[in-house]
Amino acid sequence: MSVTLTPAPPTETTVEAAPPRRKWPIGRSVVIVIVALFLVWTLWPIYWMVSTSLKPAKEATNLNPTIWPHTLTGANYRELFGSSLPFGNYLVNSIVTALISAVVAVVISTLAGYSFSRGGYKLNGTTSIVVLATQMLPLVVLIGPLYLLLLKAHLLNTYLGLVIGYTSFAIPFGAWMMKGFIDGIPREIEEAARVDGYSRLGILVRVVVPMSVPGLVTTAVFVFMNTWNNLLYPLTLVTSNTKQTLPPGLQQSFSGTFKTDYGGLMAASLITSLPLIIAFFLVQRSMVRGMTAGALAGT
Amino acid sequence: MTLPALLILALVIGYPIVRAVIISFYHYPLLNPQHNFIGADNYRRLVDDPVFWQSLQNTAIYTGVSVVGAMLMGLVLALATENLQGPWRFFRGVLLTPWAVPVIVVAFLFQFMFEDTGGITNDLLLRLHIIDSAIPWLSSSQWSLAAVIIANIWSQAPFFLLIFTAALGGVPVEVTEAARIDRASTWSMIALIKLPYLRSAAVVGALLMIIQNFNNFPLIWAMTEGGPAYSSTTLVIYVYRLAFTSFNLGYASAIGVVWLVLLLMISAAFIRVLRGKTS
Repeated sequence: MSVTLTPAPPTETTVEAAPPRRKWPIGRSVVIVIVALFLVWTLWPIYWMVSTSLKPAKEATNLNPTIWPHTLTGANYRELFGSSLPFGNYLVNSIVTALISAVVAVVISTLAGYSFSRGGYKLNGTTSIVVLATQMLPLVVLIGPLYLLLLKAHLLNTYLGLVIGYTSFAIPFGAWMMKGFIDGIPREIEEAARVDGYSRLGILVRVVVPMSVPGLVTTAVFVFMNTWNNLLYPLTLVTSNTKQTLPPGLQQSFSGTFKTDYGGLMAASLITSLPLIIAFFLVQRSMVRGMTAGALAGT
Repeated sequence: MTLPALLILALVIGYPIVRAVIISFYHYPLLNPQHNFIGADNYRRLVDDPVFWQSLQNTAIYTGVSVVGAMLMGLVLALATENLQGPWRFFRGVLLTPWAVPVIVVAFLFQFMFEDTGGITNDLLLRLHIIDSAIPWLSSSQWSLAAVIIANIWSQAPFFLLIFTAALGGVPVEVTEAARIDRASTWSMIALIKLPYLRSAAVVGALLMIIQNFNNFPLIWAMTEGGPAYSSTTLVIYVYRLAFTSFNLGYASAIGVVWLVLLLMISAAFIRVLRGKTS
């Protein structure tokens, strides 16, 4: 069975670039109301996070919450880095493991994506299925054997152990995304390079890679986001508190002694969110294409 | 060149999955060298395990409501923002923000907003006289799953906005022009012309999100840990508890195998729908 999940009509996928069209006489006011409502729904939680993080402890946990902060303070942020909470460690651990995973996963995904892309029709069908199937695996079940594996290899509580776990599950989808991007590069260019005497790997490194930089960046951001979000792996593969990453670190710290310190938790949450929000908006346009290309575009 | 990828996949995915299938036929306490082959006992136990059935039901509700809710929201937004011009486009960017907010932060944030007393959600609903008494969002079995789903929809609707926006960009201008010349009404324009073009985006997006929500551990774990009682326990939470709190890897693996089979069947159905239409 081949899953060449075909044709979305040839999409011009850049979100911004649709040609200027005349407005539909759809009730303009209807559109405005819908958009306004959803803006409130979207922004309210974010506003609440930001404003709570700037409130003094007492106001943040007041039983009659204040919608506008009465007093503004940076204390919650100072405390994250000054108190007994190893927030700095969590942050560094998250950044290091996410960056390394993104780089490693992109290198391997590019190799795989390139061979998927140029490997012909038959391979395409099979890989689509394999990739889709790997997405379905109950990670929570696989984490048991992975835990035992890393235990035997003495890789628990190490960056390397986390990176191995993160990248392995990022690679299938990463390869799928890279395939989609590489599909967009005309083969003729490669032919020309081959005539000039480049090896297959040479062509990949000197011709294909430079031409797929947006794809590389998008895939890297995708892996970075997934890694940054991962709670399950560090929770099980890391047992030492100072080696922990942000998600389990924060979850464990703020459920114990700091249980009601919502000001601090919201400050930590905001810092945790910023890298992802920035990264996402840098690649927002090509992200859609990357995520759906493998599924929608077929060959 | 596929080799490095294949090697790593074999080691870190292939090996655990084969291991998981084998383990599912054993009594297999984590960290204990004594493992006994018990045949299909883990699978037999599963049939009579009320918690398993409740988790399965919760998973279906959680996944179904989240995906349908997020998809409808994304669809409405994509259609509403399609013709935004110039600086107004900025709003679409804003509407996408939740997708970039880390899931763990979504969990913290909604947990905070859903506090029984002092939580802003109850506070606002009370002030606006929408409810008469505080709703115990996360502390009652009745509401916990709903609260988690609301947070999840907030976080995932932007994904559908993204893919529907992209798909709308693929509707050929000639088609919409022709319809406009024929004076098609706005609604028939949407229903008869645009929606069919969104079909494959919808199918693929829904499939990706169903798969993702089956595996969605951080949101529920950080918000409720599956409680109170088992009211918000989905399969992923139950399996995690079995494996790492009860250390019963054998039984956990058996559930994992059932889960994989379920998802494979769902995907096969989706792919059939997709191919049936296009070929």
